Amino acid sequence: MLTKFQAKLFFLVGTFLFSAVFLLLTYDSLKYVYSSPSSKTLSEEVIRGKELWEKNNCMGCHTILGEGAYYAPELTKVYERRGPEWIRVFLKDPQAMYPGERKMVKYDFSDSQISDIIAFLKWNGELDLKGFPPKPEYKSSTQLVNAESAAVAQPEKFKQICTACHSVGGAGGNVGPALDSVGKKYDIAYLQNWLKDPQKVKPGTAMPKLPLSDSEIKDLSSYLSQLK
Amino acid sequence: MKYKSQKIAYWFFATCMLLLSLQIIYGFVMGFARMGFDVLHDWVPFNAARATHTNLLVVWLLTGFMGAAHYIIPDESDREIYSEKLAYIQLISLILVGVVSIIGFHLNFWEGRKFLEIPRPLDYLVVVNVLLFLFNIGMTVWKGKRYTTTALVLYFGLFSAALLYLPGMIQFNSQTVDSYFRWWVVHLWVEGVWELIMGGILSFLLIKLTGVDREVIEKWLYIIVGLTFLSGILGTGHHYYYIGVPEYWKWVGGFFSMLEPLAFLAMAMFAISMYRKSGRNHPNTIALFWTIGSAVMSFVGAGFLGFAHTLPQVNLYTHGTLITAMHGHLAFWGAYAMIVFAILTYAMPLLTGRKLWNNPTGLFAFWASNIGMLGMTGAFAVAGIAQVYLERKLGLDFLTVQKEIQVHFLGLILAAVVFTSGIIAFIINFIRFGTPTDEALGAEQASGDISLARRS
Repeated sequence: MLTKFQAKLFFLVGTFLFSAVFLLLTYDSLKYVYSSPSSKTLSEEVIRGKELWEKNNCMGCHTILGEGAYYAPELTKVYERRGPEWIRVFLKDPQAMYPGERKMVKYDFSDSQISDIIAFLKWNGELDLKGFPPKPEYKSSTQLVNAESAAVAQPEKFKQICTACHSVGGAGGNVGPALDSVGKKYDIAYLQNWLKDPQKVKPGTAMPKLPLSDSEIKDLSSYLSQLK
Repeated sequence: MKYKSQKIAYWFFATCMLLLSLQIIYGFVMGFARMGFDVLHDWVPFNAARATHTNLLVVWLLTGFMGAAHYIIPDESDREIYSEKLAYIQLISLILVGVVSIIGFHLNFWEGRKFLEIPRPLDYLVVVNVLLFLFNIGMTVWKGKRYTTTALVLYFGLFSAALLYLPGMIQFNSQTVDSYFRWWVVHLWVEGVWELIMGGILSFLLIKLTGVDREVIEKWLYIIVGLTFLSGILGTGHHYYYIGVPEYWKWVGGFFSMLEPLAFLAMAMFAISMYRKSGRNHPNTIALFWTIGSAVMSFVGAGFLGFAHTLPQVNLYTHGTLITAMHGHLAFWGAYAMIVFAILTYAMPLLTGRKLWNNPTGLFAFWASNIGMLGMTGAFAVAGIAQVYLERKLGLDFLTVQKEIQVHFLGLILAAVVFTSGIIAFIINFIRFGTPTDEALGAEQASGDISLARRS
């Protein structure tokens, strides 16, 4: 068996050797990070966004790059998943988007602060993360219902906001019901009323009151009413 | 105790118990929030509860380590603490920093980087505080009558922990680099230098409790801390798989993470074999329970459960899910909380001269807290596995999955109640010991330490 001196030698040599290797790899990793495309897109906006992210301890609920708490969604790919419009609407009043659900603190961010946060989230989403977060493997496919036969094209607003929760033709979120045959159930007038103030039509619904202009509501309802 | 100044340890231990109680309260706040009872949302939102919970953990463990140092270092160095006054100033300033930070967390005043939430201005105070501590303990070691391996390993551990706090204070603009250096603090603490501290305390306790020859125990201590660094330093790589650094970290991190359980396995085997060598039992059996228990549970929680989710292929799915919470709870409990409990249980009769060992409350504290913690780990494991499959494999929405696993948090809370009952019993015992007195000087005679020492 080892003597105490040999044991001590094992400890000292091991520690110094592996510390040296670690420092070497750190040097190489930093070189890699600072020469990667992400370092060129690291704008003032992104840095301000990161400061806001830290100042409000967003990591106390969310994870980013898989790090943080696990109480709220992973945000690395949220820009890709939700898009900037949705995030903007959400950050203005988080609880309106998910009434009666798990709550997010309502921060009074200004519009420019929200833009900074979005820039920060976009920057993180564009990092080369070696395959993280993984793509779901057994994602169920939703049945396609006449989405192609729609005469009125999908309004831009629909793609920006509605698809985060609802799906049409199998594409979109699954928080709210799929909208493939919503036109069978509701006419245009009902849909307009609904979009103006969902709570008024059906108190307690999870559907938030979205900041939509009258013309946007008109476009959306005429698009939806023809999904039969 | 042999030296009057060892009494300082008591005040660190008392602070430690107070902070632990607070940590548990915040744990309950989060557990209930996860079950859907987020009634405190406006006053204590989840991120405030979470920051408080984890920071209290770090601070109470460090306070425990500091208390342990104040007890062990005089004993090992054969002299009084260099300056008692400095020790009290340091303790009080530590409490002040802690209180200001915790209040700050509730007022949106923090630096939101997991585990390092203490706001930057207060970081400087932490540095001053720790320097005070290291100076005082260092001078004690330096001026001591003898230099033991146990004392040196413990001191080296405390010193490196302080040194490694610094990379966490540098500002980085890239989230990748920020994350890279945050782990220098967090990982190299818990899977590196804290293990030195744990090893130091463990070997001190084993020398005292088993009466096995110091030379044998200290030789093993070197091997264990050698294994810790051999695996732990490059094992940091398991945090670098998916943060935007080179691909080779998957190989480096994966390989050295596989070796990390070895240090813990060695620690467990070492503690058990020393116990079996002891031949004669020390009267303070519960201290021995906590000591051996710590070595075993750290292998299960830190070694085995850590291994279970650090392989890159597994980590791709478990990274950033409740699986991390599962591993974290048992790892911190086994490796660090239990070793603090061990030194507390060992030192209290000697500090106060009251032989309150092996009573039913103490035994209940040990079993209830351990069973409770295992239950909590199980609840996190079931919730975490379900989360991984539903969210990462099937691609269900985050909140939909959270609703599915809500029920497991009822299990968590029930287990937490068992755990808390154990902790309450421990604290009741702690209070029953009363405060330390000078009359307890030389209490080793009564504890059996001396007779064991003579025997070897």
